[in-house]
Amino acid sequence: MGILEIHNLNKSFGGTHVINDFSLDVTELTLCCLVGPNGAGKTTTMDLITGRQKPTSGRIVLRDDDITGLGEHEIAQRGIGRKFQVPAVFRELSVRQNFEVSYSQEVNPFRNMFRRQPAGFKSRLDEVATLTGLKDRLHVEAGLLSHGETQWLEIGMVLMQNPAILLLDEPVAGMTESEIEKTIVFLNQLKKNHTLIVVEHDMSFVREIADVVTVMHMGSFLAQGKLSEIENNPKVREVYLGEPEI
Amino acid sequence: MPHIEFASVVNALILGLSIASIWLIAAIGLTIIYGTVGVINMAHGEFLMLGAYTSYVLQSFFGLPFLLCLPASFIVVAAIGLVIERGLIRYLYNRPLDTLLATWGVSLVLMQGVRILFGSDPKYVSVPEIFQSNVEFGFVSLSVFRIFVFGFTAAVVAGTVYLFYRTRFGMQVRAVMQNKEMAASFGINADRVYMTTFAIGAGLAGMAGCLFGVLAIVLPTMGTAYVVQAFLVVVVGGGTLVGSVAASGLTGELQSIFAMLSNDTFARFLLYVLIVVFLRFRPRGLFAVAKARR
Amino acid sequence: MTKNLFHDKTAQWTIYAVFFLCLAAIPAFVSDGFLLNQFATYGVYAMLALSISLCWGFGGILNLGQGIAFGLAAYGMAMTMQMQSQDASNPLPPFMANNSLEQLPFFWEPFWNTGFGIVLALVVPTLFYVIFGSLMFRARVSGPFIAIMTLAMLSALYTLILDMQPYTNGVNGISPPAALHIFGTDIDPYSTKAYWIVFALLLLTTVASKLLTQSKFGLVVQALRGDPERVRFLGYNVALYETVIYTISGLIAAIAGCLWVMLVQYVSPAQFDVTFSITMVIWAGIGGRLSLLGAILGALMIQGGQSYLGDQFLNTWLLLLGGFFILVVRFLPRGLAGLLEKVLGMVADRQPRESGPIARPLAPHHAVGASEK
Repeated sequence: MGILEIHNLNKSFGGTHVINDFSLDVTELTLCCLVGPNGAGKTTTMDLITGRQKPTSGRIVLRDDDITGLGEHEIAQRGIGRKFQVPAVFRELSVRQNFEVSYSQEVNPFRNMFRRQPAGFKSRLDEVATLTGLKDRLHVEAGLLSHGETQWLEIGMVLMQNPAILLLDEPVAGMTESEIEKTIVFLNQLKKNHTLIVVEHDMSFVREIADVVTVMHMGSFLAQGKLSEIENNPKVREVYLGEPEI
Repeated sequence: MPHIEFASVVNALILGLSIASIWLIAAIGLTIIYGTVGVINMAHGEFLMLGAYTSYVLQSFFGLPFLLCLPASFIVVAAIGLVIERGLIRYLYNRPLDTLLATWGVSLVLMQGVRILFGSDPKYVSVPEIFQSNVEFGFVSLSVFRIFVFGFTAAVVAGTVYLFYRTRFGMQVRAVMQNKEMAASFGINADRVYMTTFAIGAGLAGMAGCLFGVLAIVLPTMGTAYVVQAFLVVVVGGGTLVGSVAASGLTGELQSIFAMLSNDTFARFLLYVLIVVFLRFRPRGLFAVAKARR
Repeated sequence: MTKNLFHDKTAQWTIYAVFFLCLAAIPAFVSDGFLLNQFATYGVYAMLALSISLCWGFGGILNLGQGIAFGLAAYGMAMTMQMQSQDASNPLPPFMANNSLEQLPFFWEPFWNTGFGIVLALVVPTLFYVIFGSLMFRARVSGPFIAIMTLAMLSALYTLILDMQPYTNGVNGISPPAALHIFGTDIDPYSTKAYWIVFALLLLTTVASKLLTQSKFGLVVQALRGDPERVRFLGYNVALYETVIYTISGLIAAIAGCLWVMLVQYVSPAQFDVTFSITMVIWAGIGGRLSLLGAILGALMIQGGQSYLGDQFLNTWLLLLGGFFILVVRFLPRGLAGLLEKVLGMVADRQPRESGPIARPLAPHHAVGASEK
């Protein structure tokens, strides 16, 4: 049994079915890559897991806890962190403040009025700042960071949340070669303690990080397995025919 | 529940149509500006006021007939709108809250400027005799001018629909609304489209102001009386033309019916509260345009 | 990196202390009761600017209907003070008799008791903000739509109060005949006593607001100004946070409303006027919405300027104010306080060992600035 189970998920807008009877089991402490051609429903699946959109039918269970239909913040509190496709950081706040907001152990507004720095924040900040290489940039306004640094900051923010599962939507989009290499090392280190779901187009990147690859096509589950198995799967080849990455 | 007579209901419904046409003509310029350019123009009421003053000046000092004052107000206020767009608004397109505030500043300047020029005493715009009479429809009596306003509003809506859905310019506007970058890559100058739309919106407000100069007295502060209604029509309608038509029809009728059951002021209170509740459930209005995905 | 003095907490608190010491010194130099009353009124406006700075500056909630809290509280206070002049033999305020009312309306009854009346004057607007706020924020109404909705609500209340002529005296408003009597003493609006009450409450609300902005709560509120969706995905209930900051800001405006009636012994629908509520936003905008003290100073400057320069030239003054506001929005979105921030930032950058906040590649070569506070 996986840490996150998706059962028969459906989502339709009007008459258009975007997600069709999609099921997925994510095993704890693995990195699962969600791949598929454009419009396969990868980002919508992320939206459904994190509560940004409500499924038409189906169940999403996190550690025996049914989270289907909960609000975004409730799902986040239960331990699912998400990094967006377009980096979303608080540009007017400093890097340190970005991390501070993300350390969301206490979410009650009234208790937060009387607390400046929650317990455990300092050490966690130190850890994450080192991990993301932003230790020397803590005072910089986040809007002034380079694109790569912004990506790192957002990953760091998700880590500050200390989630059970991290959802990363195209984490290396727009990164330089060397930044991508750094990210590969980083993600491989991360999966020792966390469960990750990564949406990615770049197959060479997927090769470096994935334990399991799940292929989606037209909103449905197409195949799952190790990358080598996937690459030889005739159904997958058909879907990707003409696409050079595979 | 008081006994309601059939006649008074019909009366209220017809009066509601008249109210709706007034609110719609007040809101149409705002709709175009908000719907296309995305600017919440707090100076809209002052555009109306400027239209009324333009008519007053042209009529009292140059003896221009009333029916010619309408297009003249359009031209004058459109020109003023153009200047404001070029001088200020265009720098604020990606800052919606700031545009709202800046246009409030513009409204203050326009209002005070007019007050300094013309004083605070009321002015009047007169209409030909024929408009001053009343017409009887069975048990309902309506002034000819109100009927004229209704017809004029219908004509303006038709003209605007034609402009936005049947002309090349309209196609460009809709292209820019949907995707500015894509439109630009097809050689459409978004900047020009915004500029023209803003000027047209201002001009339409000016024309409405000319009518309001007849319906009420001309004062530097007259715009504020219409601006909240105009905003509510636009917001309830969702910023589209058809939305504004529907919203003004709905709100006008409700106002009229509530007023029949209580009085004008309380009816307005009730209507505003209803609108706020409505917006809670449909924050994007009656005819919502789908939101872009992140 | 040399720090910008503007962001230095010690410097900030020092400036606040200096400001309030100046305010505290005023009664020593001003003996004219009329002038003192005017200064106290400015203090009330300062409180309103403070409330706007909290919800608009920090929370990004452009509230064009702050007159709701101010006006509701002002009416509550006026009703309380009015009832102090009535007694069991003569329970009906004169204007009600003029409107041919024979009995005191039920919702006036609680205002017999001064303490209860003042509590109601504060609780009613606060509850209104809780309900109206959660309605808006749970529907995820945002940006300009909040401005329109608060404006609509304000207009609705304006017309309601105007319409309830027999109970509110309509457009004429309520003018309690005597000064507020509380804790066994009369608060003469032209006395130093009244001034100190306003001073104390302004000090209290300002310090509380400042502490609030420095708390974790304040940080989350500032984060959601930039990107509410992101904050939601971090596990915070954004609607709740927005409702809370909106309500706190409303409570401060309500306190201001009570004090205002205490000072001027008058209230009318004009307190619900759209123009007045937007004027509050102009104070905060020009002074600097991201700085509480900036907003306060904005209110003092503009209202002071209006009284001393504007009396003869009111129209010209408003024209200039409008023009100046346009310039501020266009060129100084953070107001005059933002200008100071920029200037101090430049000063800091010109000092040696500078490293401006320019984007640099990863792995920076020096490790200054890793520790804060």
